[in-house]
Amino acid sequence: MFAAARRAYPAGIDGQKVPSRTLRVALASAAVAAAAMSLALARAADRLPQATLFVWILLAYVFCGLLAWTRRPGSAFGRLMVLVGFGAALSTLAWSSDPVLFTVGQALDLLVVVLFLHVFLAFPAGRLNGTARVLVLIAYGTSVGLQLTAMTLGAFGPGNLLRIVDAPTAATVVHAVELVTLSALLLAGVGLLAVRRKADNLPLRRSVRWLVDAFALGLVSLAVLLVMGVLSVPGFALVQAVTLGVLGLAPVAFLVGLLDARLARAALGELMVELRTAPGDLSPALARVLRDPTARLLYWLPQYRSWVDHDGAPAELPASATLIRRGGEPVAAIAHHPAVAAERDLLDAVVAAVEMVLDNGRLRAELKAGLAEVRGSRARVVEAGRRERRRLERDLHDGAQQRLVGLSLRLSLIEARLGGDPAAREAVAEARVEVATSLTELRDIARGLYPGVLSAHGLAVAVESVPAPVPLRLDVRLDGRLPEAVEVAAYYVVCESLTNVGRHAGASSAGVCLHSDGDRLVVEIEDDGVGGADTRLGSGLRGLADRVEALGGTLRVWSPAGGGTRVRAELPCG
Amino acid sequence: MRVAIAEDSVLLREGLARLLTDAGFEVVARCGDAEALLRAVAALAPEVAVVDIRMPPTHTDEGLRAAVEIRAAFPRTGVLVLSQHVEPALAMTLFADSASGAGYLLKDRIAEVTDFTDALRRVAAGGTAVDPVIVSSLVARPRPDDPLGRLTPREREVLELMASGHSNQGIADRLVLTLRAVEKYVSSIFGKLGLPATGGESRRVLAVLLFLRR
Repeated sequence: MFAAARRAYPAGIDGQKVPSRTLRVALASAAVAAAAMSLALARAADRLPQATLFVWILLAYVFCGLLAWTRRPGSAFGRLMVLVGFGAALSTLAWSSDPVLFTVGQALDLLVVVLFLHVFLAFPAGRLNGTARVLVLIAYGTSVGLQLTAMTLGAFGPGNLLRIVDAPTAATVVHAVELVTLSALLLAGVGLLAVRRKADNLPLRRSVRWLVDAFALGLVSLAVLLVMGVLSVPGFALVQAVTLGVLGLAPVAFLVGLLDARLARAALGELMVELRTAPGDLSPALARVLRDPTARLLYWLPQYRSWVDHDGAPAELPASATLIRRGGEPVAAIAHHPAVAAERDLLDAVVAAVEMVLDNGRLRAELKAGLAEVRGSRARVVEAGRRERRRLERDLHDGAQQRLVGLSLRLSLIEARLGGDPAAREAVAEARVEVATSLTELRDIARGLYPGVLSAHGLAVAVESVPAPVPLRLDVRLDGRLPEAVEVAAYYVVCESLTNVGRHAGASSAGVCLHSDGDRLVVEIEDDGVGGADTRLGSGLRGLADRVEALGGTLRVWSPAGGGTRVRAELPCG
Repeated sequence: MRVAIAEDSVLLREGLARLLTDAGFEVVARCGDAEALLRAVAALAPEVAVVDIRMPPTHTDEGLRAAVEIRAAFPRTGVLVLSQHVEPALAMTLFADSASGAGYLLKDRIAEVTDFTDALRRVAAGGTAVDPVIVSSLVARPRPDDPLGRLTPREREVLELMASGHSNQGIADRLVLTLRAVEKYVSSIFGKLGLPATGGESRRVLAVLLFLRR
């Protein structure tokens, strides 16, 4: 099952393994050793206060990084934090009196600046993409390249082993350019963070992001510090202390982010419980666990070649979605905000949880989709029947009925022209009676086919012409015309019910009530007869119920023995 | 007597024109739809128009609407509407305010030449014609305390003829009665049904129809 969940992601994500205990111990020990070295170098160079800050940054990033690496092995962020920690320690080598260590320290002095930029831009996935990647690469190039250039030009005094020529002015200019460029890149990075946060529109996720963003102000402070270094303005040491202090506290923010993800995992536990006990729509629970209000679960129905939601309604699969496959074929998908994709391990766990109850929900959605299909096809069948009957009635009216009237007319004209032959006159008169009878029969057939008066004059007029078997109370309250399909269905309900009253009810009176309130039409027919009718929607009533239900309405029949019969149909008119 | 005909079936239109010409009418307009009829009535002021209820373009109730319009705009032209269907409610639409100079007959009726031309003359003269099938469907309506049950068979006959728009003289001729006898039946019917004695025969038709429709 979990293997299936893994397959939901493109292959090739490396480093998902939890760091081994040995590695963790080794890295932790290295950090402690580096801290001790830095302090030793600082004591010799009389830079203890500054060293405290560097050591704090080293330890905070390395230990928080190890924790993140262990807890979220899917994310490269933990490893990056460890790297930042050690990177910060490297620049303290510049305090050494040993020329080699000094040279290495100087060469990598500004690397830590870029590492800070990198770590902020890479939060929380641990990876860079697009503009951020370009920005960080340029920054790395600048910090190392220009630094080395300045050193070959003889910067940083006599301990510099890389000195090739002695051009102090040129070295100063190159170093100044380097500092200003890095400063600009830092500010660009902060701008990028701002733009990216604006694009993320996830209210539930904001709190942690804002915390991290607040610490990103340290980057601004760092940019200011670099420019101050160029201009040699007083107060450099103070700003440096504040900047490093802020950036040194950032791992705490990152840790809160990590804790946040762990909270999400706690919610995942609730999700499991919820999925087991109430296998309804999983989307709200997913939205809660992923802290993404837009999250929802979609099902793939191969027979319809379509994605559907919980209710079986067709849905569009958004670009940002995690597919759940089985045997290589998609079976479902969690649609979510693009930002959620960064939390791979959380998504993994959610996918695994969802898989356990997937079949249940999928079956339900499939059933609902099928039901909608059946309902639609029934509506189409009823509508096609209605159109066909209407067409037949019109054909009859314009064809056979018209011709018979014409024939009858001609017979009259012939009759008028016939002389005194009584036999011939009688024959024509008989023929006319035949034609008149045919016309009456055709009229009944046409009326049964389709109430022509309905199309032109509406339900109220049509219902008034329905032959009543018993004294009838008509209560018609309709606001104007209704959709023709609704009118026809209501008309048939009235006709069929009144026919039943005449046949079975033994009633002395009946009432027909037609009320519409804009949204729906209520049709009620009641009589004071013997009741006890078969309310199981037998043949005649079944046909009516089909008609009514095909339009999304309901038909109910009450017929207690001795208590009359009541038929009530409700039809939506939307 | 000058007649306009509106009927979309050429066969029927020409047959009708022939029949009416033979019966001594002057057919001044033969129209295929309601608009042509309205133009003809406006231009020629015929005494009566015979109108098919279903005509182009929608084949629903163009004829009925044209009839209502003619009655409002040209009160001196009577209108006789022809229909394939028995629709009391549509007849009542035509008679909404007054039954004077209006008629509603089943199309079949045109073959009964005498009855048809009688009805047409009545309507032209400001009287009424209601198809007997419509009247009998109204009379046959079940009623709570059946007031029609109190009528004698002869009174029922007189009632149906009244509702069809026949004058007292017309009823007397059909039932082979004296005019005096018919008048007695009529006042007895009005008494039994609790209808106020109204003046004018066309107002009487409407009163009876409204009673039957209840």
